[in-house]
Amino acid sequence: MYKFESWYSVPALVIPSLLSAPAFAVQYLNVEQAQKVLFPNADQFESVPIILNAEQRRAIETTSGVKVQSSALTAWRAKKGSKTTGWFLLDEVIGKHELITYAVALTADGAVQGVEILDYRESHGGAVRNSKWRAQFTGKTANSPVQLDDDIKNLSGATLSSQHITEGVRRLLATYQAALK
Amino acid sequence: MNAPTDGPHAGRATIQEHIRARPLLGTLVEIAASGPTECAQAAINRAFEAVATVHHLMSYQDPTSELSRLNQFGFEGPIAVHDHTWHVLNAAREMAEASAGLFDITIAPTLTRLGFLPRHANFPRASRHGDWRHVALLPGRRVQFMRRVCLDLSGIAKGYAVDLAIHTLQAAGMQAGRVNAGGDLRVFGKSAQSIHVRAPRTPTQVISLLPLTAGAAATSAAYFSQRRQGQKTLTPLIHPYTRRACSHQRSVTVLAPNCMHADALTKIVQADPAQATQILSRFQARAFIVEQDPSSGVCQLFDSRYSTECAPVNAA
Repeated sequence: MYKFESWYSVPALVIPSLLSAPAFAVQYLNVEQAQKVLFPNADQFESVPIILNAEQRRAIETTSGVKVQSSALTAWRAKKGSKTTGWFLLDEVIGKHELITYAVALTADGAVQGVEILDYRESHGGAVRNSKWRAQFTGKTANSPVQLDDDIKNLSGATLSSQHITEGVRRLLATYQAALK
Repeated sequence: MNAPTDGPHAGRATIQEHIRARPLLGTLVEIAASGPTECAQAAINRAFEAVATVHHLMSYQDPTSELSRLNQFGFEGPIAVHDHTWHVLNAAREMAEASAGLFDITIAPTLTRLGFLPRHANFPRASRHGDWRHVALLPGRRVQFMRRVCLDLSGIAKGYAVDLAIHTLQAAGMQAGRVNAGGDLRVFGKSAQSIHVRAPRTPTQVISLLPLTAGAAATSAAYFSQRRQGQKTLTPLIHPYTRRACSHQRSVTVLAPNCMHADALTKIVQADPAQATQILSRFQARAFIVEQDPSSGVCQLFDSRYSTECAPVNAA
């Protein structure tokens, strides 16, 4: 079965020391841009700050099966003229190590219309010691030219991040039922 | 939003690279497009919609997907499927035939048993003797299972979704674009993208492979998905012949003209690197394997073109 004269018998390269994967932060969209992307027809976003009480938190946890970490909810009512076209909810979940900021757009009757990632951050804690390598990423946003290898970040933690966002969306749907409806 | 690039339309409107990300296909999908702002954002929207369509048709996890309907009723009679599903099932068949079954979409029951896929109570119990040959592709885009098999398309469908998103960006007239879905990457246009792979045993460290200027790259490795079961480490990389999880710690990256083939070929290389050589050349693909010594941390890089061209790749 195994033919050892194949390419898989002699390495093309032996690499004794490796680079550490960089920590990085990417801003895909700011809040205003995300609002425009998710509600292209809305002409006004009205901030609706909400503090969840203990009863609401319990209701959300029961409905969604997800723990509520913060009582403060950052919500905007999307409007076209005087008509409410939907809700824009800003939220954070933990990715592999660091927080991911994302936004959920709900229709006026509380159905998910879209999800966008705003900020994605990743670090490897103590594993990143090469400060020169790391410095290249400091302060990079979607508005600055990231010349370095955008794909590194996506090879890790993406599955976990995606699961946590899915749970977050479930929690926000329950939050709508408990506090916004 | 990134560095403006020069291009034929640069005089008319500002050409910028716009990047966005959404959670889809069980991962984070990142789409970048270079074009005038309004067009680029609209093109990215359409590209995400294309990815979402594939997700809704071919998700194993979603009990309402077309794939779940196949898994539930495919043995009872022919079921007509969507063009996209049909295309992916045909590609899966082509890969299985080319590799004598080293690529096999019927390993889902093994993945369920090992806890890598959810258990659906309404799916019939899969036969122990079913494999890819028992998925009949009938005239009129109809599919029928000749034995009780259960299909998982996740990798190949993810690659197909990336291809579809790239075609959407190209059809919208974007000058350059990039779609990245958790290890499946495809680019077009001017911007080159460096391909890095993680060291299989110390995944916080990376190896720089080469720049990708056109076409696709897919990486398959178990470092983030493996789990412990007693004394054993289990990976979701299943050898179709033995239906056992591969225990090796190798990372495989395949470069190919399209992402669907690149993703499927990683499975074949994982299962049998030696046998994969001919299949790789048939699909104009190139594979890299990285293996890491557990004690010294030293990595060995194998290149499927190395034996013929004898030119080492330019790695860091």
